[in-house]
Amino acid sequence: MDWSEFLRIFNDCELDGNKIIIKSKLREVINFVIANYTYNMLKEIIANDKGEGKTELIYHFYSTDDEEDMFISITVDGEVESIADIFKSAAADENEIYDLFGVKFIGNENLKRLYMPEDWKGFPLRKDYIQDDTRLAWNDDNNV
Amino acid sequence: MTITTFKLNLGPQHPSTHGVLRLVLELEGEKILSCEPDIGYLHRGMEKMAERISYIQYLPTVDRIDYLAGCFYSELLCRIVENALGVELPDKVRAIRVMLLELNRIASHLLWVGAFLMDLGAVSPFFYAFREREMILRYFEKLTGQRMMYNYFVFGGVRKDIDYLGDVEEIISILPEKIDDYEKIITENPIFLRRTKGKGMLDIDTALNYAVTGVNLRASGMDYDTRRSDYLYRGFDFGVVILDEGDAWARYKARIMEMRESVNIIHQALEYLKISPALEQKLINPVNLKLPAGDYYAEIEAPRGLASCFVRSTGEDKPYRLKWRTGSYYSVNLLRKILVGEYLNDAIAIAGSLDIILPEVDK
Repeated sequence: MDWSEFLRIFNDCELDGNKIIIKSKLREVINFVIANYTYNMLKEIIANDKGEGKTELIYHFYSTDDEEDMFISITVDGEVESIADIFKSAAADENEIYDLFGVKFIGNENLKRLYMPEDWKGFPLRKDYIQDDTRLAWNDDNNV
Repeated sequence: MTITTFKLNLGPQHPSTHGVLRLVLELEGEKILSCEPDIGYLHRGMEKMAERISYIQYLPTVDRIDYLAGCFYSELLCRIVENALGVELPDKVRAIRVMLLELNRIASHLLWVGAFLMDLGAVSPFFYAFREREMILRYFEKLTGQRMMYNYFVFGGVRKDIDYLGDVEEIISILPEKIDDYEKIITENPIFLRRTKGKGMLDIDTALNYAVTGVNLRASGMDYDTRRSDYLYRGFDFGVVILDEGDAWARYKARIMEMRESVNIIHQALEYLKISPALEQKLINPVNLKLPAGDYYAEIEAPRGLASCFVRSTGEDKPYRLKWRTGSYYSVNLLRKILVGEYLNDAIAIAGSLDIILPEVDK
């Protein structure tokens, strides 16, 4: 794929192989990419805890016409715009990331605890999640 | 007259939900207005577990992500490690892996055929399908010591040399005629046709938007099968089943046809293995195994759609982060869309036709 046009418009992005590292304007970037390139499937969203409350989100796109994968990476500080209205599969991924990392997706109304019970405290895939601490599980607020 | 709507819980103990899936259906009479899947009953923290134990300790657990097709997830984790260390597999190991993966795919599809027909109220196909599946499981038990959680693929190769090839030969000589038998009973059966034809229509755009992959996508007319570009399948000659209808019947038919293709692939692997010399492989020493720092990604065409694994390593003996992508997770999400406007008694047929398995969803 030819990314020169993309890099001209979004000039603070970095291109690293088939991975684009952006700093902001996630929705603008994704709207631009699906309008100008053939990516028609969001395979998954991968989240990584970067520490200090920061989470890296990697959006994994795929083009069935060109048979090419592409990754867009953005590091967010607790919240980011939802793209569930562009790709319906993102709704499921965003819910999973909300449950396990505590990232809020603005615009996604259906965020809820998915794997964890509704009264569970803490987000287990974060690196600062305290394991074996009974305060995190099931207990009432008095024990905190 | 006022129209009242009400909510109905389908599951989590309902037998046709194949595990523990709870669907909250909003109904008007028997018509479904909305569907809200509730998952997480089987969550075992597979991803968190990976961050605490070494790669070789983690390897036996990954079979449990999808207990009907465990080989595929072992293969993914092995592939991550092999790619990271730049290990090239010998041809014989590739052939062994392909043969076992395809046998596993057939076993998984057979169970699905039985369970799907059971959902629709036909009991006998369940026993027929399990009879043939039993042959495959017996073979796996002989070879690996386990019927479902094989743990046979290891980093850089397989646990031991392939054996009992006569059993495989028998399985693939019997299977095509048995599949013919299923087709005689099921495919043109008027009751089956009434319950599946035109039910749960899925067009390509919706399927791609919901990231549905695998047979469900190919039964809607999209030609996407990662086996084509898979290095493991290099040198194998096989077709990809693509049907245009996009209904529950097409998804059934596609799985039946895919089993025949798998038999074809196993034939080729078997011909190669029969004449190949004893196994020579260089296994990766799993003790204190460290992957170089970086991101690794691998994917494979599992029976329930595209499965992939992402690993971020910081150079330690444990992954910093490991993520699984499973096909069923997105099929469950699709239920929100595909069930709306259908009737309650079709909901079972439609959800069944997507081949959802819950341990894969909950991870």
